[in-house]
Amino acid sequence: MDHFPTSWGRPRNEAIDAFNTYPLHQRPGHAPKTDTFTDGVQRTQQPIVTGTSILAFHYKDGIIMAADTLASYGSLARFKTIQRLHPVGARTVVGASGDMSDFQYLQNQLDQLTIDEFTENDGHDLGPAEIHEYLSRVMYGRRSKMNPLWNAILVGGKKDNGERFLAYVDLLGTTYSAATIATGYGAHIAIPLLRSAVEGRENEITEEQAREIMTTCMRVLFYRDARSLDKFQIATVTDAGVNISEPIKLETSWNFAENIRGYGAQTQ
Amino acid sequence: MPDGSFAQQPQQRQFNPYTENGGTILAIAGADFTVIAGDTRQSEGYSIQTRYAPKVFRLTDRAVLAVNGFAADGNMFVKKVKQRLEWYRHAHAKDMPLRAIARLIQTMLYAQRFFPYYVYNILGGIEEDGSGAVYSFDPVGSYEREACRAAGAAQALVQPFLDNQIYFKNQMAAAGQSHPLHLPLSDVLAIVIDSFTSATERHIEVGDGLEMYVVLAKGRSSQGLDGLRGAQEISTTNDGDRVFVIRRELKKD
Amino acid sequence: MSIMQYNGGSVIAMVGKDCVAIASDLRLGVQSLSISANYQKIFPITDRIYVGLPGLGTDVTTLHEQFRYRVNMYTIKEEREIEPQTFAQLVSSTLYERRFGPYFIEPVVAGMQKLPTGGFAPFIAATDLIGCLNFAKDFVVAGTASEKLFGVAEGLWEPDLEAEDLFETISQTLLNAVDRDAFSGWGAVVHVITKDKVVTRTLKGRMD
Repeated sequence: MDHFPTSWGRPRNEAIDAFNTYPLHQRPGHAPKTDTFTDGVQRTQQPIVTGTSILAFHYKDGIIMAADTLASYGSLARFKTIQRLHPVGARTVVGASGDMSDFQYLQNQLDQLTIDEFTENDGHDLGPAEIHEYLSRVMYGRRSKMNPLWNAILVGGKKDNGERFLAYVDLLGTTYSAATIATGYGAHIAIPLLRSAVEGRENEITEEQAREIMTTCMRVLFYRDARSLDKFQIATVTDAGVNISEPIKLETSWNFAENIRGYGAQTQ
Repeated sequence: MPDGSFAQQPQQRQFNPYTENGGTILAIAGADFTVIAGDTRQSEGYSIQTRYAPKVFRLTDRAVLAVNGFAADGNMFVKKVKQRLEWYRHAHAKDMPLRAIARLIQTMLYAQRFFPYYVYNILGGIEEDGSGAVYSFDPVGSYEREACRAAGAAQALVQPFLDNQIYFKNQMAAAGQSHPLHLPLSDVLAIVIDSFTSATERHIEVGDGLEMYVVLAKGRSSQGLDGLRGAQEISTTNDGDRVFVIRRELKKD
Repeated sequence: MSIMQYNGGSVIAMVGKDCVAIASDLRLGVQSLSISANYQKIFPITDRIYVGLPGLGTDVTTLHEQFRYRVNMYTIKEEREIEPQTFAQLVSSTLYERRFGPYFIEPVVAGMQKLPTGGFAPFIAATDLIGCLNFAKDFVVAGTASEKLFGVAEGLWEPDLEAEDLFETISQTLLNAVDRDAFSGWGAVVHVITKDKVVTRTLKGRMD
């Protein structure tokens, strides 16, 4: 349950309490010896400005993906209007959690790749499967140089044969695909909700239902993930192409909070 | 620390380029066939990442490779083995023989001796003499030919069961008789399925789906395989050794 | 290496039809050095209860004596023989007394439980080293080969085995599991308990 980006790629340590809320930069055993920026060139890095969970799943018309617009600096909500969903070509969307500067570097690489591909003018373009393959090679290559790009990334879209595509790649180069995927805290909190709402009904869920499911999950995450925001964007990829919504404000109600029992001194 | 202090302990901060992705693989050689199997769950820690991530791959019509351990390394390793086999095909206009693939894999693994692929490999298929064969490897390339081998998360659960059921260890043959050197395909498939249902029952990282590849020696009748539920032929030719894949569901909890 | 692996050894118990079986290996070692090939770690408690104590050798002796004392006290106070269910609870509470400085033993209990109707029902249980009870309906395992025992037992065991078949099943399970464990083996002993008798057999095993 240690989902904090600073802990990714580190040996699991059962001795620490993963549920505790230490300041993000000073997690026990993870703190740098000196200021991150004083070492000159650093190979093994740690994420600085981070984005939290990405959620995505299959639905009738294609792929839906969501991310909030927050980029945190430790526990500080530093940038509140960062877009973490990035369109690539005509039928792919890439969403990233983890280090935002590494993600923006990847965005530039992907944009350059798209331009190179376009200038070839050979009638081919890169679909989601190709983008994912490219990203997984970059991520695995960087981890093998012990200089990872500190992200967990989702790639979603429609392949040129009309099939849906949704896959994951992270800082270790680990990849997989599934009908419902989430990164970070979402893998623990949203995946159970998504699997029960989506699995087996991928071909039935309409766009309206998909947005509803996504909004519910983002709301639950906002309630429980301290590094999240109540402003998020939804991307869809259908035969019509990529659509990334304007930021949506979550409607929340905290009335339930007073009924929560069982924490700290409140036992009854 | 629970009291909010964390300054005093020794500070260890290193990127760990490895993880474990669970799952189990298994291969059993018959007289003129080999079964290579693996579950399809991929996990990290207590999270199931996906219920379908194949760990068993057809290399040629006579060779199947199962990889288990760190999934990213596994996929990359399979990719590179397949590339080397394609180059061989282009250079020699034939598929590489099984024992040569085995040596190739050892060389490729040992090449990474000081930054290993964190992967346990089991190679199964048909030798040039038509016999079923299993080669098993450790992450840095030590290998041997065997009749059966389990590896991965549930190796400790499955291997002693195989010793008992395949090698007849601790069993006495009936008077005047000896144990068979090789079992028929139907028996082997039953043992493989039992092994995986048992491992699924007792190991949290095993489950979801089972993929069993069967490699049949050239000219061997596919008796029973065609009619088998969920069996599908994936050979590229029908005048050489043949490859089938059989898929089964495993418990998903 | 963990203190639980210091001396080595494994125990398994299985339920059959109107019978139970409990079996263990006979090895005692000091890390990888084998010392004895006749180290008993299963002990009779009553005519119908056996307990297996795999783990740290010194605690095998201590706990066995402790259980003997407590069962005797129970017998004197209650003026009746202890039942397996009750004995399992006694084992559990004895271990939990040492919650923060435990005995390094994972006991396995097997016996025939007297029913209100006058008949007997098979009973097995196991605990961890601090006394967390596990009442299984099929089989329980403990010791350095526990993972292997789980794997083989899950493959070989079936419900309602007759005493002779249960003996064969538990023996095969134990022998094949300990043969893949460096810290267990060097022979084995099997007790098959039915309502009116206990059959004890010593098995020859691989000595490597």
